[in-house]
Amino acid sequence: MNSFRFARSALRARPSMFSAPVQRRGYAEAVADKIKLSLTLPHQTIYRSTGVTQVNIPAASGEMGVLANHVPSIEQLKPGLVEILEEGGATKQYFLSGGFAVVQPDSQLSINAVEGFPLEDFSADAIRNQIGEAQKIANGSGSEQDIAEAKIELEVLETLQALVK
Amino acid sequence: MFSRAVRPAVRAGSAAIARTAPPNAANFATLREIEGRLKSIKNIEKITKTMKIVASTRLTRAQKAMDESRAYGQTSNTVFEQAETKPLEDQKTLYVVASSDKGLCGGIHSGLSKATRRLLANDPNADIVILGEKAKAQLSRFAPEKILLTFSNVCKDIPTFADAQAIADQISLLPTDYSSVKIIYNSFLNAQSYEATVLEAFSEEAITQSANISAFEIDDEALASLREYALANNLFWAMAEGHACEISARRNAMENASKNAGDMINKFQILYNRQRQATITGELVEIITGATASADL
Repeated sequence: MNSFRFARSALRARPSMFSAPVQRRGYAEAVADKIKLSLTLPHQTIYRSTGVTQVNIPAASGEMGVLANHVPSIEQLKPGLVEILEEGGATKQYFLSGGFAVVQPDSQLSINAVEGFPLEDFSADAIRNQIGEAQKIANGSGSEQDIAEAKIELEVLETLQALVK
Repeated sequence: MFSRAVRPAVRAGSAAIARTAPPNAANFATLREIEGRLKSIKNIEKITKTMKIVASTRLTRAQKAMDESRAYGQTSNTVFEQAETKPLEDQKTLYVVASSDKGLCGGIHSGLSKATRRLLANDPNADIVILGEKAKAQLSRFAPEKILLTFSNVCKDIPTFADAQAIADQISLLPTDYSSVKIIYNSFLNAQSYEATVLEAFSEEAITQSANISAFEIDDEALASLREYALANNLFWAMAEGHACEISARRNAMENASKNAGDMINKFQILYNRQRQATITGELVEIITGATASADL
């Protein structure tokens, strides 16, 4: 099950059609249609077939923005920020721990993630502390599995740290 | 277990009624016996009532978890519906029976075992993985050679995704390549009823050969992860829903048990009172007869 977390290392910069750096202005002006977003965690349903204008997802193949009528595709997600541009211009930001996003043919986007929280709920201090601990384990002399796990943790935390200011 | 313990008491109770059938047969031992039985039934009622209350409190939480997991599982499975994925014909199927360790919850486990047996009868070449001791005990009598893996101590409380992941991990380590993993679980219809249902997770090959997969853009590397992830998601869904069903069935079973115990208490109370009255009457008759006899002298 860790394989998709490792897949981060295979990150390629594939400039896909809609690939764009995180940006404030979406493509909302160009397309009027809505995309139906379902964003679910095992213990919580954040969106359930809600119409939104645009979703930016951290796919393993590169950051991508999804609008209505996007080409159907199955994307593995790396740990990172999902940005949702709701109708009316509000933006919601969630940090997901990785999972899958599937763009369905009928303008539906299904995102499954193992864990996810709103970005503003993270505390910068806690992240710093945990990075310290993870580094200790990663550089320590534990079993190979422990070190590998700590390295994954470190990657996730560093991504998170870059986002939480 | 309780129902079984109660049943002999019922039989013994009716025997007591039969024995005391001749009127005015004063018998202290029977009175004491009835009293003892009455007490034990009252204690059983107390236990079943408490278990019912515990189940009711847990039910709300379990149902909430089930709703979330259902949304999660459905979201995860949309892609396979859209792609019209079907299992490959010529390959083996693995059945995962999502039961649990504890009884006292009506026909939850035997319903699952029956459904599994039905499915196995149509698909004799399949293997089984079992979650939970109950289904293991029932199925190991039926097809011990087909059982590859069993897990106990699962679904004790509301399952976590980590549990599902660990099980999915073990399943994907199995040597045989299964074209589909069918998870048999109890789906929650309403508070009174549940139904053994099958949830499918497919192999990579089955996914690549689905009718409509060409509509999607997908990396080949992502496919393996998708498959494992979908299996874990489905397992999680099945476990959460099965758990909610179990709790709800336990609540109902305990409610019925309490009701039956209440009926029995009423019956025994009446019997006890009658019996006591009969004894007193008998004693009075003895005293009065004795008194008149001695007054006559």
